[in-house]
Amino acid sequence: MSGGPAVRISIESSCEKQVQEVALDGTETYVPPLSMSQNLAKLAQRIDFSQGSDSEEDVEGEPKDREWGKQDGEEEEGTVKFQPSLWPWDSVRNNLRSALTEMCVLYDVLSVVKEKKYMALDPVSQDPAAGKTPQVFQLISKKKSLATAAMILQKGAEKLSKSVAENQENRRQRDFNSELLRLRSQWKLRKVGDKILGDLSYRSAGSLFPHHGTFEVIKNTDIDLDKKIPEDYCPLDVQIPSDLEGSAYIKVSIQKQAPDIGDLGTVSLFRQQQKNKAGMPWHVKLEAAQNVLLCKEIFAQLSREAVQIKSQIPHIVVKNQIISHVSHTYISLSISLCHSTGEKKNNRASPEKPKPDDHLYVLEHNLHQMMREFHKQQLSSVVMPHPSSAPFGHKRLRLAGPLAYDKAEISSWQQTEGLLEKIIKQAKHIFLRSRTARTIDSLASRIEDPQIQAHWSNINDVYESSVKVLITSQGYEQICKSIQLQLNIGVEQIRVVHRDGRVVMLSHQEQELQDFLLSQMSQHQVHAVQQLAKVMGWHVLSFSNHVGLGPVESIGNASAVTVASPNGEYAISVRNGPESGCKVLVQFPRSQIKELPKSDVIQDAKWSHLRGPYKEVHWSKMEGRNFVYKMELLMAALTPCP
Amino acid sequence: MGVTCVCQVPVAEGKSVQQTVDMLHKKLEQLGAVKQGSFCVDCETYHATGNSSSQPSKLLYVMHNSETPLSCLALFEGGPCLIADANFDVLMVKLKSHFQNAKGHKVESRGSRYRYCDFLIKVGTVTMSSSARGISVEVEYCPCVVPGDCWNLMKEFMQSFLGPSVPELPSVFAAKPEGLFAPADCVDTMTQYLELFNKLRKLQIPGSNVR
Repeated sequence: MSGGPAVRISIESSCEKQVQEVALDGTETYVPPLSMSQNLAKLAQRIDFSQGSDSEEDVEGEPKDREWGKQDGEEEEGTVKFQPSLWPWDSVRNNLRSALTEMCVLYDVLSVVKEKKYMALDPVSQDPAAGKTPQVFQLISKKKSLATAAMILQKGAEKLSKSVAENQENRRQRDFNSELLRLRSQWKLRKVGDKILGDLSYRSAGSLFPHHGTFEVIKNTDIDLDKKIPEDYCPLDVQIPSDLEGSAYIKVSIQKQAPDIGDLGTVSLFRQQQKNKAGMPWHVKLEAAQNVLLCKEIFAQLSREAVQIKSQIPHIVVKNQIISHVSHTYISLSISLCHSTGEKKNNRASPEKPKPDDHLYVLEHNLHQMMREFHKQQLSSVVMPHPSSAPFGHKRLRLAGPLAYDKAEISSWQQTEGLLEKIIKQAKHIFLRSRTARTIDSLASRIEDPQIQAHWSNINDVYESSVKVLITSQGYEQICKSIQLQLNIGVEQIRVVHRDGRVVMLSHQEQELQDFLLSQMSQHQVHAVQQLAKVMGWHVLSFSNHVGLGPVESIGNASAVTVASPNGEYAISVRNGPESGCKVLVQFPRSQIKELPKSDVIQDAKWSHLRGPYKEVHWSKMEGRNFVYKMELLMAALTPCP
Repeated sequence: MGVTCVCQVPVAEGKSVQQTVDMLHKKLEQLGAVKQGSFCVDCETYHATGNSSSQPSKLLYVMHNSETPLSCLALFEGGPCLIADANFDVLMVKLKSHFQNAKGHKVESRGSRYRYCDFLIKVGTVTMSSSARGISVEVEYCPCVVPGDCWNLMKEFMQSFLGPSVPELPSVFAAKPEGLFAPADCVDTMTQYLELFNKLRKLQIPGSNVR
């Protein structure tokens, strides 16, 4: 078959009639032989065009029959050649060969069809049962395929949305974890079972308050995904104990009159309502709760001390208020714990009228500070590391031996003052200080001549503060500065240090200070005259701070000075008392007096140099804005012109 | 902790130790000093054992002072000194093999403590194995820590009640470098006490004066 044109294919079949049926009488009916084209069509129907190489036998059914012997030979040859299969290009050769065969067949068919003598091409008629699909079936199948496609799409979309949600969930989870990390960095947390508990208490800072102070960390992730997430949304929430909710503070105030015990009770002092919303971030919540805890601890400590401490007037503890009397005064110190849970807003707001703020913020602050100091003291007693050989106890107690601390030093550690005692002392001091300031101010505003100046020091101890009081006359500040007082205001006493170092102790009574200042002011006037005399060239004849003669003053003593004019003709005598006021007398020379009482003894002219009688000056009628100015005018008037 | 001077006061002629002490108390009270409790200084002696035989055994003195109640001082004879806490006594028991307690060498000075303004005066009778050996007077000037600055004041004060038997500047202070700020501390006090004790220990018992 290698030579193309040499191959001839005959497509004529031997026509032998087939017996269709044999009748009972023996006659055979034959199937009428197929016509040429019918035969071809039938044959062609059997060809499956989709199958390439395998169907070549069907196509070449006729030639095979015809050239049987030849094909056999070839097959023999093929199998012989095929069997060793050692030749590497064997499959290629075979394929090439089969391709050539097909090409040849195609060529033959085409040439036969071209001649049109033997064969004509007819369209292949489809088998109606196999080829035609009914429309209903088509519709169903279309529907089915569409449904499949839709299902695939839907699955994809579902997967996508799931992954988005998962992402979000993951992010929230991550947010929760990062929030938890932040919480962990600031608060003590521990895990108990499947809960996360935190510690609000100051125990680790040295507190001995028995409140457990635990809070629970809640994962707040079950938020509705569809709704918009609020701005202040936080995946972490904390649950604080109900008794630590809200806000609290310690109120310290000084009350002038002792309140009726019947009136005592819960002090409700919340004037501004704090916003208590659930959406507070956790750190705000925790800080507020911790503050409540500290306030409670302070109050508990104070009330414990109030009960324990014996004092002349016992301290009263009623509900959330401690009242302690500041000794031998009519004032009392009230310390109250104000705790609002923010729930009972309505009935709280109405009855309280806005009152003047009587908080002692300094004391409130000090209370907190002292509590923390107390904590620290507790903590430092067990400070680590600790030498194994040393006894347990405070570090300084441990060091006391090797550093050879003496008795006084050691005993100074032992005395411990309670919180309440300290705060009462501070309150006393504050009260004394404010009262001193008030006394000085009222004196300064009431008395214009001489003037009082008070210079308060800015830096004070909690138990001591100082003020410098200057008594001056207006316009003569430079020459009249004899009275400078340093008032050291302590807890119960005022220590007055004069400029010259004299020390006077005054009690807490307001009147004492006032009297003292009044006497100082009256002395100041006399001092001022003395100073002025020096400046004016007058001579001081006598000077006394405390005159023993004349009317008795109810407060202090009167002081007096006598000064003589430069030429000795005139003399001015001033007596100034804190109560009686000033009295100024001028002594004239005897020569100037007309109606001298005639005496038998002093007839001689030389006696005219004797000093004459005193005459009182109507001081209130003198011109001048203050005492020293008046005195200056008087002195000027009595000094003869040169 | 101020500058401290410890001195020995001779027993007055024809008086017992106790009578002399009472006399001193009276003088101080007349001066205006206020009695403030009592004091006690004690000293125990330890022999260092286990050293090589060629070296003479050193003495270790362990002293307590009621003024520094939590401390314990250990002074080597002419050597370094150590301030420790009260546990040191327990440690010494453990160190028995190295330091042997010389029994019967325990010296004590007990007496009253007086305060006169800034001065702290301690008059004590020195007893050694329950026999009174002499009188010690300790004067402390609390506000100052530099001996050179306040010695004259202290001397003058001591003259007012001790009369002529006023000591010279204690040698511990004299040995300190001049002009430098060399604060006095408890070791100086204890060194002076130790010197006093050693002096009294060597002293023959003046039979008549011992009660």
